[in-house]
Amino acid sequence: MNKTLLSQSLRVGITFGVIHLFLLLIGFNAMLGSLFADIARVKQSGSIPASIFLVLYCALLGVWAGYSAAKKEDANVFGRKLVRGLIAGTVAGLISAVVSIIFAVLVTNKIDPRKYLAVLSLDFMRASLFNLPVVQGVAANFGVLAGAGLAGGLLTALSSFSKVKHAWKNFAGLVKGGLEKIRYCTSGKYHLLFKIIFLVVLAAAIFFLPTKWGSYWNYVIGTVGIYVILGLGLNLIVGLSGQLVLGYIAFFAIGAYTMALLNAPEPHNLMWGFWPALALGVVLAAFAGILLGLPLMRLRGDYLAIVTLGFGEIIRILLKSDLMTSFTGGPRGIQDIKGPTIFGQPFNTDVNFMYLIIGGVLISMFIYNRLKHSRTGRAWLSIREDETVARASGVNTVKYKLLALALGAAFAGLAGGIFASRNQFTGPDEHALMASINVLSLIIVGGMGNIPGTILGAFALKGLPEILREFANFRLLAFGALLVVMMLSRPEGLIPSRRPTLQIPEDPQSDEENKEVSHVD
Amino acid sequence: MNESVPLPIARKGSQLLKYLRPTFGVVVLLFILYRLYSVLVIRHEYGADTWTRLLITGLIIGGVYALIAIGYTLVYGILFMINFAHGEVMMLGAYAGFFVFEALKSIKVSSEPPLNFSNANPVISIIIAFAVGMTVSALSGFLLEKIAYRPLRKAPRLVPLISAIGASIFLQNAAQLLFSPQLRDVTNPEILRRGIGWKILINGSNVIIPYTGVFTFALSILLLIGLYIIVRKTKLGRAMRAVALDKKTAALMGIDVDKTISQTFLISGALAGAAGVMWGIHNGLVYYFVGFIPGIKAFTAAVLGGIGNLPGAMLGGLFLGLIESMGPAALGINFQLKDVLAFAILILVLTFRPSGLLGEVLSEEKV
Repeated sequence: MNKTLLSQSLRVGITFGVIHLFLLLIGFNAMLGSLFADIARVKQSGSIPASIFLVLYCALLGVWAGYSAAKKEDANVFGRKLVRGLIAGTVAGLISAVVSIIFAVLVTNKIDPRKYLAVLSLDFMRASLFNLPVVQGVAANFGVLAGAGLAGGLLTALSSFSKVKHAWKNFAGLVKGGLEKIRYCTSGKYHLLFKIIFLVVLAAAIFFLPTKWGSYWNYVIGTVGIYVILGLGLNLIVGLSGQLVLGYIAFFAIGAYTMALLNAPEPHNLMWGFWPALALGVVLAAFAGILLGLPLMRLRGDYLAIVTLGFGEIIRILLKSDLMTSFTGGPRGIQDIKGPTIFGQPFNTDVNFMYLIIGGVLISMFIYNRLKHSRTGRAWLSIREDETVARASGVNTVKYKLLALALGAAFAGLAGGIFASRNQFTGPDEHALMASINVLSLIIVGGMGNIPGTILGAFALKGLPEILREFANFRLLAFGALLVVMMLSRPEGLIPSRRPTLQIPEDPQSDEENKEVSHVD
Repeated sequence: MNESVPLPIARKGSQLLKYLRPTFGVVVLLFILYRLYSVLVIRHEYGADTWTRLLITGLIIGGVYALIAIGYTLVYGILFMINFAHGEVMMLGAYAGFFVFEALKSIKVSSEPPLNFSNANPVISIIIAFAVGMTVSALSGFLLEKIAYRPLRKAPRLVPLISAIGASIFLQNAAQLLFSPQLRDVTNPEILRRGIGWKILINGSNVIIPYTGVFTFALSILLLIGLYIIVRKTKLGRAMRAVALDKKTAALMGIDVDKTISQTFLISGALAGAAGVMWGIHNGLVYYFVGFIPGIKAFTAAVLGGIGNLPGAMLGGLFLGLIESMGPAALGINFQLKDVLAFAILILVLTFRPSGLLGEVLSEEKV
């Protein structure tokens, strides 16, 4: 028993120590410290915050370590949880102390390891010792983590006290009851009223907000909107019909380049205008979807993913290559794309584009919803669940898979056209593999196959990084880690799709008509 | 349910596909033949010397691809998942090799004449670099499996793939943040200086066979033979093959499935690490993105040879290397487009023969 206590706490401590070391080496502590300093409205010079915020960061990490160690304790014994927290904190602290000894040696000898490890400037290492003299710095590194570990254990132990538990339960029950009440009000007989109020408020917000909040927010939210359209399109392919497509951004590129080539002065000077180019882009993207899909209908899962990834890269390399430079502008891309007009009036301010994007999002949402709840949508779901069974039940799998690809690609074409026109620029590197993976991740993080999930995912993955500029360097790192953690803990996404269920009417007397397959979302 | 789709429509659709694929194949074949004919016979652009050069480049790069492709094939054979982060495992090995050479270079053996450890004992330095690189990569492959894949073994197949993509992004960016995004020049020991080699005279011009290339190729062949022996002759190899065939039965026969899978990741990681160090030695540049494209190419190679099939992956790697170096010349297209060629081959192979050149025909569930 005590052996498991020791080994488990040791393992947690070592894990957190290694995480601490890693975060230190990538300069995460400085970034988070700066964020704390921003929140506390303390001015700082340079990228390294005041020591107090670094101490705060260490303490938070230690508390977390102590908490995760103490959480593993099954027996509800106060002391054991404390001990676990203390052990984990101490071990993490020891690792931190060893690292800080190395830092101290480097600092005292004025060796700058930045040639190999990018963030370890002398200032940074001094800050990691909390700007204290060597011995105190090392001791502080150890002490903060160990103490915080103990505190984490204490916190866990306290929270399992019956009174605290009770209070928490009461509070949770209160919240839950409130939510239930709200849900009751918004459904049932008040359903329509609330829906109308909600829609009116939403419409007002959509109409007035773009004019109020300035061009920066229009840009950020506009980008989110573009990604919502992309996410919905990919959801048709991945979420509904279950085909994993990794080169999705190629269709986006087709839409963007159609818009660019037809509306920019540089390579061809065709100047078709926005709307025909948008329509043509959508059609071309859908056509490309079918063209890619036709030879690949036999493939499933991983193979399809890799092939479409290859397709995306082919498109990007072709756009970039010398072969196409005279046609597509090569690596420089295409500039000065003309904006849209409505009835001869230019329609190209940031507010106008915001409306355009909102319109695109609404149309996409409408089409997506109609498709999902149609016979087509059910056919896709059946293919996703089991293709062989779907085929055996008479679903024309080839037709429906191609349809999903074509429609999803058309969404991407639409998004690409609007995006290129808004940015007045498109280039091959906008369409790199990373963008495809971004879109895929946003629908996975949000919850595959449903609209609220897509919107939430787009905000989380496109909106948040724009707002949290400090995170810029760590964005992709966090993103990769998030994908893994998400798959490990919550593979169905933040807002999981509800599966279609057969509702059996409560009254057995009622006839067949009441039986229906409902798709609740 | 009066909505059910009548069967004839379904048959019509598949019949369309039945004619479409051969038509597509014939068109592609005719196009390739036409290009080959016009470039090789009519234009006759390149002489024997250029072809030899391209052959050498292709073999060298093909050896590296083969090493990485083995990793994909081993893992796919056992878990039926694409280890998307395998290229990043190779990248970590490349960084490890770079750091070892830097460290050994900074050890001064004698000051007059100035001589550092890596030039004084080149063989030992190279051995150390490979040992460290392979260890680092093997460990990272092991940890990768343990953290990101093992808990998902029973999940639907999309889930571990996405987890692997996440791990790949994470490792790339971790390396970028740790080691900075700049390109690093790998300093080889003097005997393996880049750009020098044996010269042979073909068609009146010198063709250089670089030492680094010969070293890389020989070592990769050696490692491949070693791996083949491990898989075919040892107890571990037998366990691996058993687990690949049927996990449940293997477990009933007393094989520790988890341990075998871990060992598979260790081995594939070690090979990727060797490939990474070789990449550093031969190409000379190491950066955080270095594993990505070779990773995808190596996957192509594994598919080309028939995924899950060891000799297939080796042959596929060499074949892909050759196609990449000689293909653009033979088809008369720009060398910038060699990646397009590689991916196009992937699409063609999967369209016409998803089981690869050597692979057995897989059931649809596996594909």
